[in-house]
Amino acid sequence: MSEIKQDQDQFIVKPTLIQYGHHVLIKLPSSGLKVAHVTEGGSINLGKFGTFDLSGIVGFPFGQTFEVLDERKVRAVKSTTYGNVDTLEPEDIPTADANADAAASDVVMDETSKENTPEPKTLGEKIDYLKRLDVKSSETNRDLLDIGAGSQALTMEEIETLKKTSKGANIGEAIIDKLIKSHANFNKKTIHSQEKYLKRKQQKFLRRFTVEYLGSSQLLQYYLEKEASKVLDMSEETLGLLLSLGNIQSGGRYLVIDETSGVLIAALLERMRGSGEIVLLHENEHPNISALDHSNFPIEIRQKMIDSLNLLQFFEPESERVEFQEYSTEELKELKSNKRTHYHRRKQNAIDTNKAIDNAIKGDFDALIVATTLYTPTLMKRLIESVGGSRPIIIYSQFKEPLIETQLDFMNDLRILTPALHESKARPYQTIPGRLHPMMTMRGGGGYLLSALRVYPVEEGVTAVGRGLKKKQKFEK
Amino acid sequence: MPFIGYKTLIEEGDIVLAFIGRDAIKPIRINSEETLNTRYGVFPHKSMIGKRYGSQITSMKGYGFIHLLQPTPELWTLSLPHRTQIVYTPDSSYITQRLGITNGSRVIEAGTGSASFSHSLARTVHPHGQLFTYEFHESRFLEAKKEFEEHDIDVVINHRDVCKNGFEITNYDGGYLNADSIFLDLPAPWEAIPHLPKVINKNEKVGICCFSPCIEQVDKTVKALIEHGWTSIEMVEIQGRRWEARQSMKRDVDDAILRLKDVKRRKLEGIERKRKFYADNGDNNSKETENDSNDVREKRKLDEKEQTKVEKTEFNPFGRGMRVLEGDPKYNWLKVSKNEAELKSHTSYLTFAFKEAVANL
Repeated sequence: MSEIKQDQDQFIVKPTLIQYGHHVLIKLPSSGLKVAHVTEGGSINLGKFGTFDLSGIVGFPFGQTFEVLDERKVRAVKSTTYGNVDTLEPEDIPTADANADAAASDVVMDETSKENTPEPKTLGEKIDYLKRLDVKSSETNRDLLDIGAGSQALTMEEIETLKKTSKGANIGEAIIDKLIKSHANFNKKTIHSQEKYLKRKQQKFLRRFTVEYLGSSQLLQYYLEKEASKVLDMSEETLGLLLSLGNIQSGGRYLVIDETSGVLIAALLERMRGSGEIVLLHENEHPNISALDHSNFPIEIRQKMIDSLNLLQFFEPESERVEFQEYSTEELKELKSNKRTHYHRRKQNAIDTNKAIDNAIKGDFDALIVATTLYTPTLMKRLIESVGGSRPIIIYSQFKEPLIETQLDFMNDLRILTPALHESKARPYQTIPGRLHPMMTMRGGGGYLLSALRVYPVEEGVTAVGRGLKKKQKFEK
Repeated sequence: MPFIGYKTLIEEGDIVLAFIGRDAIKPIRINSEETLNTRYGVFPHKSMIGKRYGSQITSMKGYGFIHLLQPTPELWTLSLPHRTQIVYTPDSSYITQRLGITNGSRVIEAGTGSASFSHSLARTVHPHGQLFTYEFHESRFLEAKKEFEEHDIDVVINHRDVCKNGFEITNYDGGYLNADSIFLDLPAPWEAIPHLPKVINKNEKVGICCFSPCIEQVDKTVKALIEHGWTSIEMVEIQGRRWEARQSMKRDVDDAILRLKDVKRRKLEGIERKRKFYADNGDNNSKETENDSNDVREKRKLDEKEQTKVEKTEFNPFGRGMRVLEGDPKYNWLKVSKNEAELKSHTSYLTFAFKEAVANL
C-alpha cells in the first residue's frame, strides 16, 4: 500500500523566470550546450562569444534569447528563427519560390541598446538585408559553379583582423556584410540558398544564446552531447516511453536503479514534483546521481523523497542495519566540537540508513525502474518480489541482448505478465514550408525498454484451457 | 480513483481490467451480483472482491484463468473502445516528455477523440495541474464525458469546434486557462492556432504539438505557426517498434558434416550387409533364384529385411524428426529477437513549436 500522507507533500512549482540559485541550460547557436548555475556576481564564459555577467539574465523568462554586448553585458532579443537552427541541411534542393513567410519582427527590449541596428532574423527581413547590401539572387542555381573556398575573397586572416578592429556587438554583422560582398558567386545562388548562407554565418558570428529551463529532457540532451555513456545513451523518446509505461505519477513509491548519473531520478522527481518516494539502489558505497546537482530540486526535497541503499543493504537488510550508541547530554557536552559534529553525522547516517532499510523491506513498490549495466536476468530474479501486484517493471538497456535474455526468463515466470520489448526512435525532419524532408542524418542508438507487469499466480497452480485439457481431466479421474 | 493513484485490494465498485489475453483485456465494474463470462470460463465478481490487484483467479470450474489488473492509461489504450484513431503510447509518451508535461501542467487537448491520450495526460498532470479537452463531434463528446465521470478523472471537457469558436470557456475558474502545453489532433490545426493567444500563459514558455497524418497538413501547420509567432518549429516522426525474444538453435556446421558422414557410413554399411547376404543366401532379383519356390523366396525376403537392417543412428544433433520445443535444454540455443509481424510504420507527424514568454521588466 502506498498511501502518501497529503500533509507531508510539498508541491514544487516549475519556475518560469530565471532567478538566482537556478541551474539553467545555455543554448549556443552552434548547438553547443552549457549548464550554468545562476549565482550573484557569477559570470559565464561562452568561448569565442565572450564572457557575460549572469546578473544580466536574471528576471527574464526561460526561453529568452540574449546577445552578448561589450563589458560583459547582454541584451534580450526576440528569437524568430523558425525550424531548428541546428537542423538546417547544408544545401537543400534550390527552388525559385521566393515566397517570404514573414514572421514577427526583431524586438530590442533593452532600452540602452536601441542605437544598435537589429540584425535581420526573419526571412522577410533577411531579404531586405540582402537588398541593402545590393545583392541579387538567381532564379535557379544553373550558373553556380562549386569552386569551394575559391569563391570567397575574404581570408581567415582578414576575418581575424576584422574581429579585432570592429566594435562590440556589431562585429558579427560587419563580418557577415564583408563575407557577402566578397563572395564571388553569391548573386548566382537562389534566394533560399542565400538565406541558408546567411543563417549559417549568423550562427557563426552573431553572439547569441538562449537560456532554457533545465528540465529532465534538457539535462538528458546536455549529457548526450557531452558524454552519452554517462546516461547509458538513453534517448529522450526512450525516457518518455519509460515514464509512461512505468505509470510514473505524483504520489508513487518507486524502486529504482539509476546508472544514468541521476538523469532518470531527475525525470521521476520532475513528474512527481514533491510528492512520493524513491528507494534508490546502487552498487557502490554512494549512488552516482551527480546530474541531480544540476536539477532544480532543493536538497531537502531530495533527502525527503529519496532513500538510497547499496545492494548489500537492500538484499541483506538485517545484517546491514547500523547500530548506534547514543550519548547522553552530559557525555555530548564533554566532547570536542569536531568530535560532536562527527557524532551527529554518524547519528544522522544511522537514522537515514535504518529508515531506508525499514522502507525498502516493506516491498510492494508501485514500479520497479531499472537502468543498469548489471546483468538483468539475475538481478530481476532478486527484485521481482519487491514489486506490488499489477505494477510495472521497466528495464532500460542500451543493448537489446540482455533484455532478450530477461524477456525469455520472464516468459517462463508466473509472477510476470505481458513482458514486451520496446524500441522508440524519433526521426527529425527539416521543417521549412515547401521543403519538408527527413534529415539526412540522425542520432543512432537510444536504447531499449523491457516492460512487464508483476502478478500473483494462483498458488496451487492452474490448468490452462486448451490442448490436452480433456485428456488431463480424464487422467486425474 | 481507478486510473490515477494506486490501490492494493479489489473492492465493490472498482473498475478492474480482466486480462484474458494480450488481445482481450476487458474492463469490468465490480458488482457482487454479476459474473464475468469469458472463453476461459465463468468468473463471479464475488470471487474477485478482497483479492489483491494483480491476482490470478481460476474459473468456477477450477480450470481456465484470468488476471485482475488495476487500470492504467497505458493498459486502457490497449482495451478501450475505439471511437477514432488513437494516439499510441510511443507517440503520447514522447509528446508528454518533449513538452515537459508533469504534475502541475495546464494542458489543452483538441479533439478528445477516443480519450486515450486524455487519460494519460490527466494522470501526468494530477493533482496540481489541469487538463482541458475539446471535442466537436457530439456523440463522441458525450461518450468521453461519461467515461471521464465513470473513471473519476478530473478533466474539463467541452463540446466545441475550436477551429471556429476558439478555446475560451466559461465553465472554469473565470475562464483563465493559462495553458502551458497544447496538443492539437485536428484535421486543420492551422485554423485553431490563431485562437490560442487568448488561452495560453503569457508569462512562461508554452509548447505545442500538432498531430497530423499527412505531410500537406504539416506544411500548412508550420506556415500558421510561423505567422503566429511560434519558434523552434520542428517536425518529427516516431517509429515505435516491438521486439519478440526468441531462441534459435545453434546448428554447428561440424555437426552437419558429422551427420552427413554418419548417413554415408550407414548407407555403406547397409550396402555391405546386403552384398554379404546375397553372397550367402542368394538374391531374389537375380537369375539364379528364378526357379525357387514361392515359400523360399518369401523367407529370403524376410531374412534379407531382418539381416541387412542398419540400426537407427544415435547421432541426431538437431533433433530431426522430433518435436523440439524452442529452448529445449538438450540442444544449444542462441537468444535472438525479431520484429512483430506487422509494424506501425506511420502514425502521424508531430510538429512541435514553442512560444516565448513576454518579458515583463
